[in-house]
Amino acid sequence: MTSTDEELVARSMRGDADSFNQLILRWERPIYALAYRTIGREEDARDVCQETFLRAFRALPRFRGQAKFSSWLYRIALNLCRDWMRRERRTGFVQPPEDGDLMDLVAADHPSESIEDLVARRHQVQAVERAMARLPDEQRTAIVLKEYHGLTFQEIADLMDCPLSTVKTRLYQGLSVLRRELSDTPNQKANTAGAGREGPALHLKAAFPGTRREEPI
Amino acid sequence: MTELRCHYSGDREQAIVSYLYGEDAAFDSAERVHFEEHLATCNQCRREVDAFNDVRVSLAGWSPPGLRSPDHNIGSLPGPVSGATSPHVPWWRAMPAWAQAAAALLCVGVAAGIANLEVRYDAEGFRVRTGWLSSQSEGAAAAAVAGTGEAPWRADLVALEERVRSDVRATAMQAPAGTAAIPPATSVGPDPLRRVRALIEESERRQQRELALRLAETVREMNAQRQADLVRIDRNIGLVQNTTGREMMRQRSEMLNYLTVRTASQRPQ
Repeated sequence: MTSTDEELVARSMRGDADSFNQLILRWERPIYALAYRTIGREEDARDVCQETFLRAFRALPRFRGQAKFSSWLYRIALNLCRDWMRRERRTGFVQPPEDGDLMDLVAADHPSESIEDLVARRHQVQAVERAMARLPDEQRTAIVLKEYHGLTFQEIADLMDCPLSTVKTRLYQGLSVLRRELSDTPNQKANTAGAGREGPALHLKAAFPGTRREEPI
Repeated sequence: MTELRCHYSGDREQAIVSYLYGEDAAFDSAERVHFEEHLATCNQCRREVDAFNDVRVSLAGWSPPGLRSPDHNIGSLPGPVSGATSPHVPWWRAMPAWAQAAAALLCVGVAAGIANLEVRYDAEGFRVRTGWLSSQSEGAAAAAVAGTGEAPWRADLVALEERVRSDVRATAMQAPAGTAAIPPATSVGPDPLRRVRALIEESERRQQRELALRLAETVREMNAQRQADLVRIDRNIGLVQNTTGREMMRQRSEMLNYLTVRTASQRPQ
């Protein structure tokens, strides 16, 4: 039977290194994804991810269990991302994300896609990356936590130390900026043309049948 | 009938976000019903909700690099936290047997050199001497066994030789079975040629696909550029036509004015 985070944390606090390893295996992908989508640089996101677990390991004796372990981990990662962005801003603006390799897309979960579709998808992904990079930090963080990590408004509010209504406002403003930024991309136009009245879940399934939310919460 | 401007009574932005993410805790059922009724009549809100849904569709396609392979590992912590679970293997066990034998011989040689070992077998018999003492005290220091004729060590030496021979024979008998059971680490399988060929074919397929992708991307970019150029040309032609048309109109009206004035002035008083 799989142990819960709380059980693994309790065992780690008693000195069981293997339990902490299991926590790392369970959470490294979501934390890396959060870092990457927040700061937009692969190598730096890996560094942030590693540093997050190092800090968590060192601070584990002080973890009281008042919040969920995942929330605690997210908070550490977000603080590190914030530090990183502050540092970057001192040397220049947050750089636009690196261009992903085209072959990454080939190796991704759409092996039967036509080349034309692949190229279109790559353009779409690049457009999303650019649009996300243009968002103010708070809006980007709120959107990442909501869209990719499925946190509730209240959890995001707790993590970002702001009222729930502020979270919604940031989401609204962020989505409005993204809407403007993405409105020129051809795929977005196609989506708009074909958009019915069904909910977002149906849209997601129709457009990205292989898409999965890889970040559990 | 649908309204052109939104007249939602509540906080519109908050309601749109709550409706979009369908979080019940933040949007109770009465509020939801109220907003849905409004949505049915408000074009502006409906368009916004649809547009946000499209944005969410686009967002869903973005996954970080490196997360696509399922066995991707970011790295592990140093020290006991990341302690490998593989059994402990002494470093010297990882060395090949010939290297171990060579190392052993080297050790023996160095030790013999340090001890100034001297082995002599001559008419005086078999003699082993160690140490750095001078030749004067040779007799006392040497651990020598001298003798003539049938020396007592000769029988021991023969027995030792026999034992070594039997050991070598036994090892030779066991060697083929051991080799068959454990293939060497560098083995490339029963049919290495076929594997290499498959690898080359795979690599070629990958290169062709990459080339096709690059080409498709270039074609797509060229098409986009062409379309942009066409639009620009179209706009410029339109501008030129506009300018020409305006100029012609101006000239025509000037001519008309002139004719009118001339006609008026020539009219008999």
